Amino acid sequence: MSKKVLVVDDDPDVRLFTVTVLEQHGYTPLEATNGEEGKQMIKDAAPDLVILDVLMPRESGVRLYREIKTDKKLRDLPVVILSGIAEKSFLRSQKALTEFGGEPVPEPECYLEKPVEAEDLIQAIQKILG
Amino acid sequence: MQRAMNIQKLLFVTKFEELGFDALQALLGLRKAALNHVVFVNVIERDKVAMRRGTGYQKTEEVRLRELANIRFIDWAETLFEQGMEVGVYIVVGTLVSQVIEAAKKEDADLIVIGKSHKPMLEQFYSGSDVTEIIRRASIPVLVYKPVPENNTALEHPFERPLLATDNSAGSLRAVEYFKGLNAVVEEIHLLTVVDEKALKGGSSMSIQKSRKEARQRLEQICEELESVGIHARAHVYVGQPFEQIERAARDCQATLIVAGSSAKAAWAERWIGSVPRAIAEKSVYPTMLVPPDKS
Repeated sequence: MSKKVLVVDDDPDVRLFTVTVLEQHGYTPLEATNGEEGKQMIKDAAPDLVILDVLMPRESGVRLYREIKTDKKLRDLPVVILSGIAEKSFLRSQKALTEFGGEPVPEPECYLEKPVEAEDLIQAIQKILG
Repeated sequence: MQRAMNIQKLLFVTKFEELGFDALQALLGLRKAALNHVVFVNVIERDKVAMRRGTGYQKTEEVRLRELANIRFIDWAETLFEQGMEVGVYIVVGTLVSQVIEAAKKEDADLIVIGKSHKPMLEQFYSGSDVTEIIRRASIPVLVYKPVPENNTALEHPFERPLLATDNSAGSLRAVEYFKGLNAVVEEIHLLTVVDEKALKGGSSMSIQKSRKEARQRLEQICEELESVGIHARAHVYVGQPFEQIERAARDCQATLIVAGSSAKAAWAERWIGSVPRAIAEKSVYPTMLVPPDKS
């Protein structure tokens, strides 16, 4: 059975691109348009990997990432961040939230800055999912 | 269950020219209160990408405008994320008023911030009617941000010394409740009631003094409420035309912000009768925060 990859991004063009690349390489893509929807889909569909944007309405990728990585049941779910936000800023945000009393979280399995080439994206996914 | 009157999430509505990152940074003082989430909103007006004879819908122009906004928001968002803030973004094509009201509802925001320049009406980025319409339709407070006229920069601490003009309306009393939650940010609050000159005409000096005393006593009660949560508060009673007196009091008190309750009147009624909150939002040189009555 093919592995399920959840794409959480508010940009329909990015979702279309990512979903197409995933399908071409035999994965089953799932889609969510913001962090809140993404959280629900993780619970409902139990994906094998999440591709997560950072800057989105309702709930950002910063918060959803934190929720995944501090949840005992979900913390091993691999996350690829795919965003226009610089990796350095994302890591600093997690550090700042930890300083405000949050639980420390590990770095994401992979961080890709937008725009990404199909080859780079699929390589990153294959490296994680095998 | 009704949420406590804190400003945790603000909607920052911008076309960039009139409301920049300096204005947002000035508002970050609200973090000392409860602010932890900023949502950027950029509305691309339909006429910029609308169908044109021979060209149809200008998709390329829409993409270009979206990306211009996105690049700016990414830069701002990085700064806010690094400070541990939560950030969201809406870049949408549509009409300003409906998109802002919709985003405020979707996000369950606590405050809408919108910019207004001191330029003549025809050169302003948002027409007076857009701002008025947002104020009228919003169920949450609206802060109309205005740059300092001398150098066109944002005021550094807008919530430091507000002037709260109260007429005991539901909106102005709700504003008092909001400010109780901002005790970590507000240094001193000035409460003002403007007594209409007409109410004093023909009366004896005793009855005039009585009107003033009653107005003052109501203000003193609110002062006590604010003092009880650690906000230094002072009461003022002015006489005359409300808008002119509010501006005068703001100058006298060196206010950083004018706060008033917004009216629940219908738009046609406001246009016909005129409205003090609308006049403050459109004409005052001070940033203005308008608080609607609780519509729930």
